[in-house]
Amino acid sequence: MVKLVNLVKTLRSKNAGPFLTTMDIFFEDRESYERVKNSGVITKELVAKLYGIPINDVVGLYYYDPAMGIKITIIKPHGWISGDPENTDVLGCSQHVPLQDIEIP
Amino acid sequence: MLRELKDLSFVNMGYGWYPETVKEALKWEPDVIVGQGTSTDPGPGYLGSSDIYPYTERFNQKKDAEIIALARENNIPFIVSAGTPSGSNLHLEGFLRIVDEICKGSGIKFRAAVISGEVDKEYIKTKLAKGEKMRRLVDTPRVSEFLTLDEVDRSVKIVSQMGPEPIMKALGMDVDGVITGRALDVGLHMAMPLKRGFDKGLAAHMAKVIECGALAAVPEVIDIMFGILREDHFLVKAPNPSLRCTVRSVAGHSFYERPDPSKELNPGGYLDISEAKYEQVDERTVKVWGSKWVPSDKYFVKIEGIKPIGYRTINVAGIRDPRMIKHIDPFLESVSEEVRKRFAEVEEDYTLMFRVYGKNGVLSEWEPKKEITSHELCIITEAIAKTQELATAVVAYARGKLLFWNYPGRTTTAGNVACPYSPFDIKMGEAYVWNIWHLMELDDPCEPFKVRVVDFPRNKPWEGLK
Repeated sequence: MVKLVNLVKTLRSKNAGPFLTTMDIFFEDRESYERVKNSGVITKELVAKLYGIPINDVVGLYYYDPAMGIKITIIKPHGWISGDPENTDVLGCSQHVPLQDIEIP
Repeated sequence: MLRELKDLSFVNMGYGWYPETVKEALKWEPDVIVGQGTSTDPGPGYLGSSDIYPYTERFNQKKDAEIIALARENNIPFIVSAGTPSGSNLHLEGFLRIVDEICKGSGIKFRAAVISGEVDKEYIKTKLAKGEKMRRLVDTPRVSEFLTLDEVDRSVKIVSQMGPEPIMKALGMDVDGVITGRALDVGLHMAMPLKRGFDKGLAAHMAKVIECGALAAVPEVIDIMFGILREDHFLVKAPNPSLRCTVRSVAGHSFYERPDPSKELNPGGYLDISEAKYEQVDERTVKVWGSKWVPSDKYFVKIEGIKPIGYRTINVAGIRDPRMIKHIDPFLESVSEEVRKRFAEVEEDYTLMFRVYGKNGVLSEWEPKKEITSHELCIITEAIAKTQELATAVVAYARGKLLFWNYPGRTTTAGNVACPYSPFDIKMGEAYVWNIWHLMELDDPCEPFKVRVVDFPRNKPWEGLK
């Protein structure tokens, strides 16, 4: 088992508008990309659990082979909406942290 | 001869471009210079700001706008969105004043179409009154499923992301360039190719790759980008010789700030790049083809609006005493309780909160690490209240308690926290939240976007500007 953060080149989050947060995962080599893709570990269920949101709010989980990239998009939970009083991260660029420790076989 | 259109893309947000790379790009003979200058990413506070240069200030805006002088000197048409970052009429006017200054300073004169991206509230209310439904773009309970008259009334300003069509129309008005307010970034780049009859899928995909300048190259830096659109493919290359476009950097850029990497919803249809092909042509250039535009029956634009929620005041303070750090949660709860007692008669008129950096200031309740291991904490005390005066009074009272309230084992009877500033408290003015993020259907994609043909430099500022 290895933590996701140790397999990636890029692991980032950002707003896709004020109501969606999108997380991008890119890899240095095709082997690591295929390893994560084929492991089947990253699922909508897992993302929902990590971010404490309903599964229907995980609106996208995509694999885009030409870029060796994985994209996860969620509807922001209360408190994440850009500029709301409770919001800590207007740009949404520090919300990737809960993904770092996902264990990949 | 192969028909092609060459697009020099820069970012018009005040982040800067490098004169030497622009000089290099001008040797490549661009057919159009395009720059995006509007964004909602910096949050709702900017659309509400009454400061004419709220984001990167006049100095930085002017440095970016000087590219227009280069465009005119080289007789290249330009298309820019401006009014950083909101694209409201007020902020657009700020940019037009800079253009006036540049013209007066360099003796340049030209004619441009200026297109407003701010939508009149009455225009939207008339549509709603006719029974039109404007659905929210994202299924979040935070905004109404369908836009209501009440939300329009509450909003301070509403802007809309115009598509390429109003810009195409403006390009036909015998102008040297187009300056828009809030606009769809890719639409700025699509307007010229669509006007010249290029394939819409390829035009949209090239726009998507180059709209953020050199961010689609490696290493990722803020600089300009160059796109060459042809009949059945396009090429992308960064003019800066130290940057390379690679298949992965170009394909990967389709992820940037987008919910779906292979489908992008736009006014009048969507871009499908699931079958797009990428090829490394030389060390710095990538060729792309196979992108498709899928038209829709109806034409929608996104409308964006904000409403005020009160006035904000903050205080920044640091804690270094390990005994206080150990008791931070009950200590802050005691301070809150003292504030509640003091302001009981106006309890409905304010909210108080603390941001505790070193504990969970970034991830708040999503922070997986529960134990504080830092030797110092930063506390931002924040109040939002009906008036600026009340917000400041709440923060000032809370700050007094932060300084002098007790906690177990306290030895710091002369003051508990380190305040870096005098005055201590910072009045941040009116605060806003997004309340409109909806789709408005248009029969005519140009209808709400007012176009004026303007000769620069102007003799006087925008008349009738609210």
